[in-house]
Amino acid sequence: MNSVLTQLQPSAPHQNRLEEQDELDRTDAASWGSMAGFGNLDRTGGVQGMSIPRVSDPTSFLDMHTDNMSSNPDAKIKIAHGTTTLAFKFQGGVIVAVDSRATAGSYVASGTVKKVIEINKFLLGTMAGGAADCQYWETYLGMQCRLYELRNKERISVAAASKILSNIVYQYKGMGLSMGTMVCGWDKTGPCIFYVDSDGQRLKGDLFSVGSGSTFAYGVLDQGYRWDLTDEEAQELGRRSIIAAGHRDAYSGNTCNLYHVKENGWDFIGNYDVNELWYEYEGKKKAERESQNAAAAAGASPMAVEP
Amino acid sequence: MALYHNQPMAHAQEPTAAPIEHRFNPYSDNGGSILAIAGTDFSVIAGDTRQSEGYNIQTRYARKVWQLTDKAVLATNGFAADGNNFVKRVKQRLEWYEHAHHKPMGLKSIARMIQTMLYGKRFFPYYVYNILGGIEEDGSGAVYSFDPVGSYEREACRAAGAAQSLIQPFLDNQIYFKNQQPEPGSQPFIPGNLPLATVLSLVVDSFTSATERHIEVGDGMEIYIVMARDRTTDDLLGEGKLQKGMEIEELGTLGEGQGERTFLVRQALKRD
Amino acid sequence: MMSQHPATWGQPTPANSSFNQFNTFPLPQTQRGQSSHAHHGPVGHTQQPLVTGTSVLGLKYDGGVMIAADNLASYGSLARFRDIQRLHPLGQHTLLGVAGDMSDFQWLKKELDALLREEDALALTDSHPSLSPKNIYELLSNLFYARRSKMNPVWNAVLVGGWDKVKKESFLAYVDLLGTTYTAPTLATGFGAHLAQPLLREAYEAKAGIDGNGPLLTKEEAEKVLEDCMKVLFYRDARSLNKYQIATITSEGVDISDSKSADTYWKFAEGLRGYGAQTQ
Repeated sequence: MNSVLTQLQPSAPHQNRLEEQDELDRTDAASWGSMAGFGNLDRTGGVQGMSIPRVSDPTSFLDMHTDNMSSNPDAKIKIAHGTTTLAFKFQGGVIVAVDSRATAGSYVASGTVKKVIEINKFLLGTMAGGAADCQYWETYLGMQCRLYELRNKERISVAAASKILSNIVYQYKGMGLSMGTMVCGWDKTGPCIFYVDSDGQRLKGDLFSVGSGSTFAYGVLDQGYRWDLTDEEAQELGRRSIIAAGHRDAYSGNTCNLYHVKENGWDFIGNYDVNELWYEYEGKKKAERESQNAAAAAGASPMAVEP
Repeated sequence: MALYHNQPMAHAQEPTAAPIEHRFNPYSDNGGSILAIAGTDFSVIAGDTRQSEGYNIQTRYARKVWQLTDKAVLATNGFAADGNNFVKRVKQRLEWYEHAHHKPMGLKSIARMIQTMLYGKRFFPYYVYNILGGIEEDGSGAVYSFDPVGSYEREACRAAGAAQSLIQPFLDNQIYFKNQQPEPGSQPFIPGNLPLATVLSLVVDSFTSATERHIEVGDGMEIYIVMARDRTTDDLLGEGKLQKGMEIEELGTLGEGQGERTFLVRQALKRD
Repeated sequence: MMSQHPATWGQPTPANSSFNQFNTFPLPQTQRGQSSHAHHGPVGHTQQPLVTGTSVLGLKYDGGVMIAADNLASYGSLARFRDIQRLHPLGQHTLLGVAGDMSDFQWLKKELDALLREEDALALTDSHPSLSPKNIYELLSNLFYARRSKMNPVWNAVLVGGWDKVKKESFLAYVDLLGTTYTAPTLATGFGAHLAQPLLREAYEAKAGIDGNGPLLTKEEAEKVLEDCMKVLFYRDARSLNKYQIATITSEGVDISDSKSADTYWKFAEGLRGYGAQTQ
């Protein structure tokens, strides 16, 4: 039964490479000519030469030697992981906010990661899960989107772009890819967000947060979210949510990167230090409380209630 | 990611259902450490020369830092066999590129190529941490650091390998001025433009200190210095610029040469 | 279907013939671009050594390099074969000392000897340069790494000793089943890395200094050190044998000694409890 199924299914990109075809013995001219920069593409632009270990169960092999699926934190090969990301739609477009910490086990591998991947002028992708999986496939998605433009003389929709990505990762389903990303942009239909992950799930929505700090971000996000937020309010909400997550989640933090997608493409709003901002917010809260207490004591506002 | 973490003791409670399968483990860890620091118009890439496995020192001189082009140097750390073979493939691809385009590959292109080559083995990863240093097209010093499956970013400095957790915090403090306050009224710190002499002594201090506190680091170190074209070399070659016990040699140009110069400084480290 | 056999060429094959003429599986056609293994699972490989050799030692001395290994091939804890040679010459100026799985070693010998015969044949007809020790070492490194990358390791640790005729210097390097490679003036595999390597380094550095710039050991001194090391190994490595050979590789070529034994001393054990067989 199983063998009948395998014959009926279209061969996944990795399946025919199990055998002799190591990436080492590739002889395609495309691998050394002008394509040498993105060197594992064949002449059709398809990804080739993803080498698979010759063991009966490649997935458990990967699991045994890497901390890839987080089920084996003692593994020697630590793969950098991403952490808190969010994006939401509102009347003024899409806000995308992320932190900048990458962890390998409990080690903070980097505090300066760019978790917003600029796919093109109108499309952004976020990075959560395996840093390399997101970086690599979203870069590749950028190439495919450019090819779409050249072939069709118009920009690709966010729906189509996200579907390319989700189709790619679905081909590798169960093999240990790890990515949770939001493809954000502005197309003919207006602002748009798609959540795509390595399980093959693809969801359209107004508001998403992904990663270990997402619960903290959702808390802030949900209490402050309205469709008719002004640009400034929306940017502040995105920023505030990441700061809260960065402060409370050990695997998130360092800085916050904020983007705003509008009709004419995205703008980079700024980079903010999580720690500095958190204590700025705390200071403001304290000052507000004190001024209200002072006002209450003076009897100027007998109705004042602690916020 | 914290959300998906198993309970720390979960595996201990699982009954041993099947006998543990004795399987071939294709990886090993050969210790050692590497680091790179970028300046405005130079880049320093260094590594120690000890190669070990467990408590055994296999050799006191094994190379971990490699000159790729006139303006690019790559340091590899982790499993030595993977590292050596990865470098071999990178060099081959650079040669093919030069034959196809009649020019050496630029630094940022090498960085992207390294990403795709590492990612090509996403399901059977190279157990190698790579740090690429050199001179960018615009003449600025650059450092790119990679994880084993190819995620990368450009940075001002990076330490990797056995002693990364000893060296990186030191570099964060000295290069990014983390947790330092400028004196009231003085200039704010600007990361990434330290003079070469300062960078060199930071590198030496990093390795001598890591040698004291990590058993897998020691024996010797090799420091590669890539200088942008037309940059003065007085701060390296001038009288008394090098510390005692350092030996310096200039590595000849690999191609036609566009004025970048690469120097190799060697120094002994403790052997115990 | 037409028969492809030379004796029955062109005749129809019997209808019930199940013999697959093209040796493809399971379909009697070649499947283009498709792995035939995909249908019956990946190939299983030998994943553990069976008959094994223990330590090999290597040492550079003045004028060449010396390699030592004992004559034992163990089958688990059984001293199964007590007269095998683990030193194998390749051409005029190279020698392998092999630890680990002995059947993989035999395969390795067969392959390398075939290669060297080809090289010799080429050398007869034109000015084909012979393989230097470094050439052979590079080939072995690539082979071992490629095989580990196919999850089908060559289960050995090998010391390559040689004399480079062009550079006029000795050569000594290590490669193992993982493809790990390194070179040093003194080398040891397996148990020898723990027990003998410190002694070898001590002896080497006593004369040459830590930078190796001083005088090297003489041939006699080197041989003495190796004999001491083989004895120490025999005392404590339960998979070793007091019957070993030492090979010297110099500009003159390879010389492999007859098997010899070290003088051992066990008297001290007599008065000791818990050392060896005792009645009480």
